[in-house]
Amino acid sequence: MDGLLATTDASYPAALVIEFRNVGKIYRSLLGNSVKAVEEFSLQVGQGEILGIAGPNGAGKTTLIAMMLGYLRPTTGTVEIAGMPARAYIERNGIGYLSELISINPKWKAETALVRYATLAGIPESQISAHVNSVIEKLGLTEHRDKKVKALSKGNLQRLGLAQALLRDEQILVLDEPTHGLDPVWTQRFRGIVEELRRPDRTILIASHNLDELQRLADRVAIIDHGRLQRVVTTGYDQTQQAVTRFRLTLASGHERIRESFPDAEEAGKGEYDVTVRNIQELNTALADLMSRGALIASVVPERSVLEQQFREAVGESQ
Amino acid sequence: MSRARLAKYSLWQFRDFAIDRGIAIMIIGLLWGYTLIAPMRAAMGAAFNIGPSSPAWPIVVTVTSSVVSLSVLIALNGIVSTDRKMGYYRFLFSKPVSAVAYYSQVFFVYMAGVLAAMLVLSLVLHTVVPAFKIVNFLFYAAIIYIAMGGIGFFLSVATRFDWLTLAAVWLGSRVVRDFNGPKPGWSSKLVELLPPVHKLDEVSMSIITSGTAHTGDVVWLLGYGALFLALGLFLLHRGSLAD
Repeated sequence: MDGLLATTDASYPAALVIEFRNVGKIYRSLLGNSVKAVEEFSLQVGQGEILGIAGPNGAGKTTLIAMMLGYLRPTTGTVEIAGMPARAYIERNGIGYLSELISINPKWKAETALVRYATLAGIPESQISAHVNSVIEKLGLTEHRDKKVKALSKGNLQRLGLAQALLRDEQILVLDEPTHGLDPVWTQRFRGIVEELRRPDRTILIASHNLDELQRLADRVAIIDHGRLQRVVTTGYDQTQQAVTRFRLTLASGHERIRESFPDAEEAGKGEYDVTVRNIQELNTALADLMSRGALIASVVPERSVLEQQFREAVGESQ
Repeated sequence: MSRARLAKYSLWQFRDFAIDRGIAIMIIGLLWGYTLIAPMRAAMGAAFNIGPSSPAWPIVVTVTSSVVSLSVLIALNGIVSTDRKMGYYRFLFSKPVSAVAYYSQVFFVYMAGVLAAMLVLSLVLHTVVPAFKIVNFLFYAAIIYIAMGGIGFFLSVATRFDWLTLAAVWLGSRVVRDFNGPKPGWSSKLVELLPPVHKLDEVSMSIITSGTAHTGDVVWLLGYGALFLALGLFLLHRGSLAD
């Protein structure tokens, strides 16, 4: 397994914030049946880092997060935040948390819910209104502020969940499936919000099925399957250089010259071609050659992102 | 800092109690009281003057003590388990708040709510039955809240069906004690471990009538409830909020 880890020491940020140490969770039923949800999970997350957690359904992502928040006790191992047991840290400092399932009392009004959470978060009474107004505006909830939670659509409920996580200037944010239920416009805005939240002293965990989202936002992505950490992928240029081998080219003109530069190019229709290269240098050399032959390139897109490739390999579905 | 935060939040908790449970307690208390007192009043006419020496007094005590038990049952229903079942704990306890402190506060805020509801109901009853002492009744309600509520709190931490379990434990203890009787042997010793519901008749009559009761009985009731409250808080501290 170690050989699969893509992480290097250089990719670790300086200060360690969250540490999972041999964490395991076994659910046992009254009838004696047991299910291993998480096994021997060890991972360190540093200050200033955005860590993605990816895995198929039932991989153990949510269980892992529940243990990190102290909502579930690990069967084995420990989870520490800033050197303290996770629950003790949260009880002292709090974190920003958006759960996969948005569970807010349906009888509360959206704004009232935020005022309650702000009170619990310890925001001074004189500032609660300003904080609440700020997140309501940021998440586009102005017209829904007086609605009861049960009257909100899935997308608006998701935004309310995110709003309560952003009420305070937290050092740690944990976002579980944050764009679940959001429309494309808000999915895009959410990415902007997370980018704004990136700060050298803030650590962000994002669990998501959306690999493209993690590729864009996270510095590293932990891929888990069957409760085990399969590998950690660093989502940077270097990894792209090593792993991406297949691209789709769209040509505006010069179609007849494509095979002079890419002998194995396969036509995919509508002026698009799939090409296979060994690395980025080879791709760039061939593209330069193609352009020098007079072809106009409209786009070059990896057929699969590095993360997607790694994900498929890690969960045993590589094609 | 944490205490100040929670203290401010107690106003929201009290509001939740008033809306979700207080109104129900008031309606049930008023209806129950009215349906039992009104026929007596109609039957007795001008002679209606219930006091501790009146034959109708035990009925008043039974009705009012039942209202207290029912109110505690309503107040404690899902006090912890609802947040866990519905997942409300997720956002609540991502804030810098201890679940033990939070639910301890809820327990005592709801106690204040139950006493406030009992105050209003006893004021109404006092206008019809002037011999009914409000202070005695509130004293009794406080004892029962701790005794029965402590067990209810523990069950709400330990199970998802706390209302049903509390009612079953409370009534079951009563039935087992009534059937077992004061027999010698190990079974009687086990029965002694059950909730002290057998003391309620005597304690309710004594406290609601005179404001006093046998100290041992009161200590036994309070101690039993306090022990289970502490067990519930310990379980909350050691256990998991999520399933």
